Amino acid sequence: MKDEPIYLDNAASSKMDEEVFEAMKPYMLDNFAVATSDFAYSMGVDAKEALNDARETIAEELGASSEEFIFTSCATESSNLALKGVAEKLSDEGDHIIISDIEDFPVLKTANRLEKKGFDVTYLDVDGEGFVDLEQLEESINEDTILVSIQHGNQEIGTLQDIKKVAEICNEKDVIYHTDATHTFGRVPIDVNDIPVDLISVSAHTIHGPRGIGGLYIREGTPLEKQMDGGFQENDLRAGVENIPAAVGFAKAVELIDEEENERIKELRDKLIDGMREKVPDVVLNGPDEKRTPQNANITFHYVEGESITLHLDMRGIAVSTGSACFSKSLEASHVIMGIGGDHERAHGSVRFTFGRFNTEDQVEEVVNATSEIIGKLRDISPLGEEEEE
Amino acid sequence: MTKSKKLDVLGETCPVPLVETRKAVRKSSPGEIIEVIGNHPESKEEIPMAVEELGLELLEIEEKNEQWRIKIKIPEED
Repeated sequence: MKDEPIYLDNAASSKMDEEVFEAMKPYMLDNFAVATSDFAYSMGVDAKEALNDARETIAEELGASSEEFIFTSCATESSNLALKGVAEKLSDEGDHIIISDIEDFPVLKTANRLEKKGFDVTYLDVDGEGFVDLEQLEESINEDTILVSIQHGNQEIGTLQDIKKVAEICNEKDVIYHTDATHTFGRVPIDVNDIPVDLISVSAHTIHGPRGIGGLYIREGTPLEKQMDGGFQENDLRAGVENIPAAVGFAKAVELIDEEENERIKELRDKLIDGMREKVPDVVLNGPDEKRTPQNANITFHYVEGESITLHLDMRGIAVSTGSACFSKSLEASHVIMGIGGDHERAHGSVRFTFGRFNTEDQVEEVVNATSEIIGKLRDISPLGEEEEE
Repeated sequence: MTKSKKLDVLGETCPVPLVETRKAVRKSSPGEIIEVIGNHPESKEEIPMAVEELGLELLEIEEKNEQWRIKIKIPEED
């Protein structure tokens, strides 16, 4: 196996940038104080300033004010707080929640739990490329609807929803709108001055920041019930000692991303998609050609199982992930591939390649060649391939 | 004496035999011999493929009564 693996699972987590780590270090080793008020000791005041500077940097990326952004431990917590917090706060006004069929687990499972508690949840279908039908959304909103949660970019197939239109529909109908932007924050611009969204979940570890830190944008005036009880931290919406080193690292990660990098990543993604289409027969790109996150390529290699592809790529030092069942440790095949109308065979043969800062053109070439060779060999021994040839 | 271990994946289907083989390889030491015994036909083809990818030595493949036995050697350290 290679000494330096080719890592193409940046949507799961990405390598922390050394500049991020350097920015965090002083708040791990030198300044270890909690954020305190101006009346306390200097180290605490410095810590508070660092926390608020970080908050401002991240909020600015969304076009928001720093008062509208709180830190959490991860985007999963952010989405839990958003959905449960709104549901609890507005339970007297209504009990209907709308999400899409292909939401990531933090939204999907939170909605499932709220459903078990008596909330009525509508799961919107998506089309063959993963897009929500906006007319269906509009028709689904009723007088009991209190919350809509539709993601910005899909975690598996990269579909970019038109969150501006979704937000406008919700705004017009006076319904709170939350979006999970874990896979778009930093990669696809979101401006809350242009998009009337109320809540946005974001994360650091998908953009070369640290793990263990996420955030939630909360538009001023959005009704939200605190879910983590304790102290008064984070605008009294999320108790617990703030993770200041991680917050500083998160802000540094945001500072390091620019449009040029996103364009470069998109070019790598397109090179991989083109290369696979050219070199490997019987492949399908899952998700749209356009309107997809710049870092995501998700491809089904027919007649072969995703686990096998993933394992053989790993043995050549290439890290990718699959929507196939065994590997993902869930009992069923990818709900996203099934959601876009795929069958089990399409889901089981799907492989996700997600790019980041440290990927190169040479790596793309190597991955395409390795995949093409592996697929060829696996198809020769695959019973699915034989069935197809008969 | 050469260290060796046996891995029984009889009754297991793809990708379990390959996953278990990888696990055994990861936990092995240089020079060790791993004997994998199974009966899933595709795995009999896939395991040698993995052996090549990992730069290991394929010592033997035997097949009898729909059961196969693959012997792999972990390379000695330079």
